[in-house]
Amino acid sequence: MDQTLQHLVNGTVLGGTYALLGIGLTLVFGIMRVVNFTHGELYTFGAYMAYALVALLQLDFILSLVLATVLGIGLGAAIELLLLRPMRRADIDSVMLVMIGAALVLQNAEMWAWGGVAKLIPNPFPGEPLVLGPVSVLPLRLFVLAVAAALLLGFWLLLDRTRFGVAMRATFQDPETAALMGVRIGWVNTATFALGSGLAAAAGALLGPVFIVSPTMGDLVGLKAFAIVILGGLGSLPGATIGGFALGYVEEFAGGFVSTEYRDAFGFLLIILVLALRPQGLVPAKERIG
Amino acid sequence: MLRLEAVSAGYGRIAALKAVSLEVREGELVCLIGANGAGKSTTLRAISGLLAPGAGRITWQGETISGLAPREVLARGIAHCPEGRRIFPHLTVRENLEMGALLRRDRAAVARDLAAMHDRFPRLAERSRQAAGTLSGGEQQMLAIARALMSRPKLVMFDEPSLGLAPSLVDAVFALVAEIRAAGTTVLMVEQNAMAALRLADRAYLLETGQVVTQGTGAALLASPAVRDAYLGGATA
Ligand SMILES: Nc1ncnc2c1ncn2[C@@H]1O[C@H](COP(=O)(O)OP(=O)(O)O)[C@@H](O)[C@H]1O
Ligand SMILES: [Mg+2]
Repeated sequence: MDQTLQHLVNGTVLGGTYALLGIGLTLVFGIMRVVNFTHGELYTFGAYMAYALVALLQLDFILSLVLATVLGIGLGAAIELLLLRPMRRADIDSVMLVMIGAALVLQNAEMWAWGGVAKLIPNPFPGEPLVLGPVSVLPLRLFVLAVAAALLLGFWLLLDRTRFGVAMRATFQDPETAALMGVRIGWVNTATFALGSGLAAAAGALLGPVFIVSPTMGDLVGLKAFAIVILGGLGSLPGATIGGFALGYVEEFAGGFVSTEYRDAFGFLLIILVLALRPQGLVPAKERIG
Repeated sequence: MLRLEAVSAGYGRIAALKAVSLEVREGELVCLIGANGAGKSTTLRAISGLLAPGAGRITWQGETISGLAPREVLARGIAHCPEGRRIFPHLTVRENLEMGALLRRDRAAVARDLAAMHDRFPRLAERSRQAAGTLSGGEQQMLAIARALMSRPKLVMFDEPSLGLAPSLVDAVFALVAEIRAAGTTVLMVEQNAMAALRLADRAYLLETGQVVTQGTGAALLASPAVRDAYLGGATA
């Protein structure tokens, strides 16, 4: 029982950041029909930016995370404007190839800029865990969860309550008619890709201090983001959120009760299982973004 | 007010419009009729900027608007209510209406117009918070029309507003179009239902394979043997 609660807490922390990653990826697919292979690299980018700002420039920790996210938004906007916009009318295969190429370039750039040795991001939180009854949790992890939850909520409010959010959902449902209403579709695409990239960078900046930072850290995470999105149903925001938490819990419980070595494998096992039973994903199409 | 001069447009290699010229004057209700595939929808798409004309010129209140983005055309006062309703099914009824007013910055006036739409369409008011996709076909058409009006257009273009509706609703839609024109908005309407459309229209154009073949007042076209034989199948009014 003690262990169960502990794993629940750890799974929630992990799941929050997975949900951020999943939402960023599913949004880009849902609105732009682009399979974004750079997503994992944006995660790596966010972590390295946090490292550069905190460890090298010695800026304030929280300010650094905010800046790393903003830089991720900027990099995403640049990728959209330089690579995707010129390919608006290209077929999906060509776009995929370009995105795979972009991911390789980004990963090698990280390797070149930072070297292959893993980096640690110092954080200002106390190193002793908070103990609440049977559960102990590092303050840093609580902080990560709180920020992830705030970002999820903020994102949901943005989509649900603002004019921009309504325009974005309308574009998702019917781009041509949205254009007739005065929506600048090109601009919505850039903003979508930039926001999705920002969420990946934020996840990287948040988890970087929890784990370690290395040029290949985005590989497995990128794969997991795809798994989350497929799990939840392509293009579904609630699905990506649920999928993110589901993956966090499965990894945490399987890692704790079965085998630490194979924790990642259990996550993918879950996906195979869900897809076998519910090929459309957890959340059906009609409940998607719009 | 609106003038098309020898406008040609197409999809890739398909030439859908071949040198179409037509005119809509302020306060008029003009109808575009013609068989399926004649190029009626393409004409509206060229005007609203969804499709850039390959040749020719479109002018609006003296300004050339061909090649402008849909947003720019709408900002100049031309709204396009597309074929097949095209409401946003997963947005609420209210959000759909707000999308119609996306370019307007006068929040207070938008709120007044929304209230007016609710008075005019009580069904939409009742279902304000419901996903638009849950409305019946007739209600969706009313929503599509109301959404187009939310931009306060000077000219509103309807593409087959009666398509797929039950006969009683068809009459309601035509009555609504007449009402909109009577309230001072200029109307350009595409219709398959040529009889009803011509009776309503001040003037009309008959399109055939991308070309204007006949034009005149609604009454003249209704009486024209060419129209009756070729298009209305000789049916009597
Ligand atoms: N998206 C499209 N791609 C290719 N051809 C199209 C497309 N839309 C319409 N067409 C063609 O253009 C011509 C005119 O179509 P349209 O303007 O929709 O006719 P109407 O509205 O009068 O039925 C038709 O031959 C049609 O097949
Ligand atoms: Mg048509």
